[in-house]
Amino acid sequence: MKALSVKKINKYFHEPTAFHVLKDISFEVDRGEFVSIIGKSGSGKSTLLYLLSTMDTNYTGEITMGGKAITGLKQNQLAKFRNEHIGFVFQFHYLLPEFTVLDNVMLPALKLMKKSKEEIKGEAIELLTLLGIKGHEYKQSSKISGGQQQRVAIARALINSPSIIMGDEPTGNLDSKNTKVVFDIFRELAKERGQTIISVTHDDEFAANCDRIVELSDGKLISE
Amino acid sequence: MNTNQKIAQVHLTTRFKQLLVAVLSVTFGISMYVFMNSFMAGVNNAQTQITFTSMPHIKIYNDLPTDVDPILNVADPNTIVIINNARNIQYAEGIKNADEIKNKLLHFNEITGVTQQLNQNVFVRNGVSKTSASLSGIEIEGENELFETAKYIVEGDLEELDRRSDGIILGTGLARAIGVNTSNNILLTTSEGITKTFKVIGLIETGSNAADKTRALVSIHTARQLFSKNKSYATEVLLNIADYYKAQSLSEEISKLTDYKVEAWQEGNAQLDAANVLRDIVAVAISLTILIVAGFGIYNIMNMTVNEKIKEIAILKAMGFNGKDVIEIFLAQSIVIGFMGGITGLVLGNIIVRLVDNVPFKIATLTTLPVEYSTADYVMAFCFGIIITFIAGYLPARKASKVDPVEILRG
Repeated sequence: MKALSVKKINKYFHEPTAFHVLKDISFEVDRGEFVSIIGKSGSGKSTLLYLLSTMDTNYTGEITMGGKAITGLKQNQLAKFRNEHIGFVFQFHYLLPEFTVLDNVMLPALKLMKKSKEEIKGEAIELLTLLGIKGHEYKQSSKISGGQQQRVAIARALINSPSIIMGDEPTGNLDSKNTKVVFDIFRELAKERGQTIISVTHDDEFAANCDRIVELSDGKLISE
Repeated sequence: MNTNQKIAQVHLTTRFKQLLVAVLSVTFGISMYVFMNSFMAGVNNAQTQITFTSMPHIKIYNDLPTDVDPILNVADPNTIVIINNARNIQYAEGIKNADEIKNKLLHFNEITGVTQQLNQNVFVRNGVSKTSASLSGIEIEGENELFETAKYIVEGDLEELDRRSDGIILGTGLARAIGVNTSNNILLTTSEGITKTFKVIGLIETGSNAADKTRALVSIHTARQLFSKNKSYATEVLLNIADYYKAQSLSEEISKLTDYKVEAWQEGNAQLDAANVLRDIVAVAISLTILIVAGFGIYNIMNMTVNEKIKEIAILKAMGFNGKDVIEIFLAQSIVIGFMGGITGLVLGNIIVRLVDNVPFKIATLTTLPVEYSTADYVMAFCFGIIITFIAGYLPARKASKVDPVEILRG
């Protein structure tokens, strides 16, 4: 069973003018694969990622994740699906500034309500330790450095052990040292935990080091 | 506490100043609502009480018959009927059997007091000074029950009327007009020309100038003798009931028992009733306006919060919070604001009302500004407050729930 399969995706923008963004995109991703989506700006790579993220539902075609058809689900069902199966890492960390680091990480799991608060707390601390932010758990998330914030955001993406982790230029705001740290974390997650990683990136070195590159140009898939 | 409520709590507590402003606006609105309504109710009560010092809730008297049948009924349209000098004549004056009516009224539980009066216009004379006066023959006990007449006697004793058949109590204005004091004698002449000497045994002052200048009280027995009427004669039977707003419906019931005219106080005093209702409308309108302004305040603050937190809303949605969760997060905040503002508003309102209750105001029979303590006002104020904060909070919350995360996160 493929972790992700995309069949004949087409998407149009109607504002400001009608524009065919994605043209007949089809590809598949295996479990535990680390995939980069690259392409020039305007090639539609971010648009594609947001379709995969289930947040954008305005397209034709079919998306299946872990054997479950995503296309056609209602907003509330999609929200539940995202909560359980998808983790997001964005270019900006988007942590909730008034909450502590620990609360930020625990939030998606508290929403999922599959484990007790104590268990979730234990797992969150474990993840933060893994990502090298131990000792900052009870600080407000706005009071730690940018690199640390991005790692907290990754911990948050991982708390529900999602089958797919999606990144929208996750290293775009980081220096080369932190970029390497984040890349290594992704690498390890794919290898050790079998989590699928799909990441849009501009960073050629980042892309070159992953398992597979999907390249888009003018809304068409030009290499897989 | 679930996750949504926890987020709401953090949002509220980390923005203490905004929380305070929002709560204060509700507090102010609700306390004003309580104050306005308590004060208006107090004014209405005072007004009505002053009125009822000389007016009963229901009056039964002998009126000209209102439904007079035409003397000649002619169906033929070609016949012209001319009747000269048609008159509606009152054959009997006053109520001959007032005791019987009184006894019938005892069956009504709502009635708190009944009394009879015999009222006539007379002339009073002291030497060369004379003036007209309206003489009331009263039943001391019943009169006192209805109007607390004894309270307004400034000299002498009301009970004395029963003991002296030649005793009379004059309004202070009337006594001054003819230059008499307590224990002086006066001459009283009826419209039929009968003259009798009375001794002034007291003075009464109700605060209503017009009444004080014309009023003269004697015992009803004396009055019946003076006018040569039978033992149970009265011109009016007056009664008070427990809730004077029910006077009209009760007077309809009573009129089924008697042929005499039964008149509720509202009939002759529509302006009083209208003033009460108008004051209530003004109070509610003003206080609701204040509450709605407070609602706009909350709307504004919540809207700003939503705009400020739009990225957080987007990320929450990306993490799997749905529209309902987002509404809960933001609506919970305004409901908390509503409750906190509501409770402090009720307390503040009560304090203001108590303060106003102690403000000296010495006009007519009042000593302090009149207020009324009514639980219903407090309940209403709280309900309106909650409803308005709910609406004011719901609109921004719904806007937050409709945020499209893709648009925000893609920048």
